[in-house]
Amino acid sequence: MKEFAYYTGCTTPVRLPGYEAAVKVVLEKFGIILNPMKDVNCCGAQYVESVSHVAFMAMSGRILAIAEQMGMDVLAICGACSGSLKMVKHELDRDSELRDEVNAILEEEGLKYTGKSKVKHLLQVFREDIGYNAVEAAIIRPYNGIRLAAHYGCHVTRPPEIVQVDDPENPTIIDRLIEIAGGTAVDYTGKTRCCGGPMLAMDEEVANKIGIDKINNIRAENVEGIVTACVFCDIQLTQIQFGGDAGEAEKIPVITLPQLLGPALGIDFDTLGISLTKISPQKILEAHQ
Amino acid sequence: MDETNEQVQLKHTPSSTFAKEIEQEPGGEGIMKCIQCGMCTASCMVARMTERYRPRKLIQKILLGKREEVLNSELPWLCMTCRLCEERCQEDVDLAEIFHAVREVAAREGYIPSVFQNTIDKVLEDGWLLKDSYTDFEEDDRDDLGLETDLGWNNEFTKKLKKRYFAGGDAK
Repeated sequence: MKEFAYYTGCTTPVRLPGYEAAVKVVLEKFGIILNPMKDVNCCGAQYVESVSHVAFMAMSGRILAIAEQMGMDVLAICGACSGSLKMVKHELDRDSELRDEVNAILEEEGLKYTGKSKVKHLLQVFREDIGYNAVEAAIIRPYNGIRLAAHYGCHVTRPPEIVQVDDPENPTIIDRLIEIAGGTAVDYTGKTRCCGGPMLAMDEEVANKIGIDKINNIRAENVEGIVTACVFCDIQLTQIQFGGDAGEAEKIPVITLPQLLGPALGIDFDTLGISLTKISPQKILEAHQ
Repeated sequence: MDETNEQVQLKHTPSSTFAKEIEQEPGGEGIMKCIQCGMCTASCMVARMTERYRPRKLIQKILLGKREEVLNSELPWLCMTCRLCEERCQEDVDLAEIFHAVREVAAREGYIPSVFQNTIDKVLEDGWLLKDSYTDFEEDDRDDLGLETDLGWNNEFTKKLKKRYFAGGDAK
């Protein structure tokens, strides 16, 4: 039995609690126990990261040090969090001066970063800890071939030499899991392009254009749903479909990977928080064989 | 002259004092590797959607030493850090990292977009991003899902960082 320290980040607990719950219940199905992390802080992604390298190292470094204290690897379910924790681990493991500086601050509360705890994104847990065969064996209500498009998230898969999740130009983990669950994984133009989410702060109009471009590319393939593995991507790809640029076309449901897998594994909708999904995915999730 | 050796030694020019300054910052190390081929701009979704931003040109401005123009502009802050360009760069230039280095220098000198400054202030004060958005509604949703409603964020640490690394909210 494998255990992880479960770092849910700032956004998921508030904006997408169904994702948080679904990850927990789906992984439990495969014997993986997630332990909540208490007394943690934001990883520092994008904002602190942009203005103070060392403060960013300290913020993510503290999360890693708490995981070490728990004696566990970290599971992150957001691209920004998993990306930050991995980038910081990469640097702290190679730069002893930086590590000493961070540890001098952590020491004041009895914490220490040594690099013992690894960081995994959810997609890695499916591939490395559970494995495709085990997922396949656990599917009891397969979908009936519904067409689904995977969106991986930039910070989930890049930079590949550091995050080590999937092929950055041709990622396959979500696609394989869609197929295993009985869906049809559909390719589309610009699959590895950004959702536009990180641009919202600086220029909402540009962010929306990038998001809508992605939605249009997906729509061109007659897809019935979009499957995500990052809270920011999920929210961005959902909310742009409610904006003025979206036009009159029918909205495409956006759903997180564990919320797609859950019903096929026999988990009920309420436990997975399906009713909280902004564009109802009912049609997809009821399309069983 | 040994031609092979010369090729190995080759540094792409021009390399301004500003470029050398960025090269010394964490993340900025790779800037001199840029050969200005433009693959980054060709891959960039921001560049596709607005004429204001061209990553190749931004790197070029740094290489040419347009220090004030770069630091005092929104350009370094328009990169989404999606790293699609890095995936395609044949010279392994880490543009997202370079622009982070430029942002850090800009922030130190007081050039920081207000949206970044406000969010940084919030995060350092609260310990996390969404304190103000976490209302009874979200708490009820969590309760229904059997999730912990007390999120238990720590802000003592971020306040400590603010004191140590940020003077009056500005990056030191």
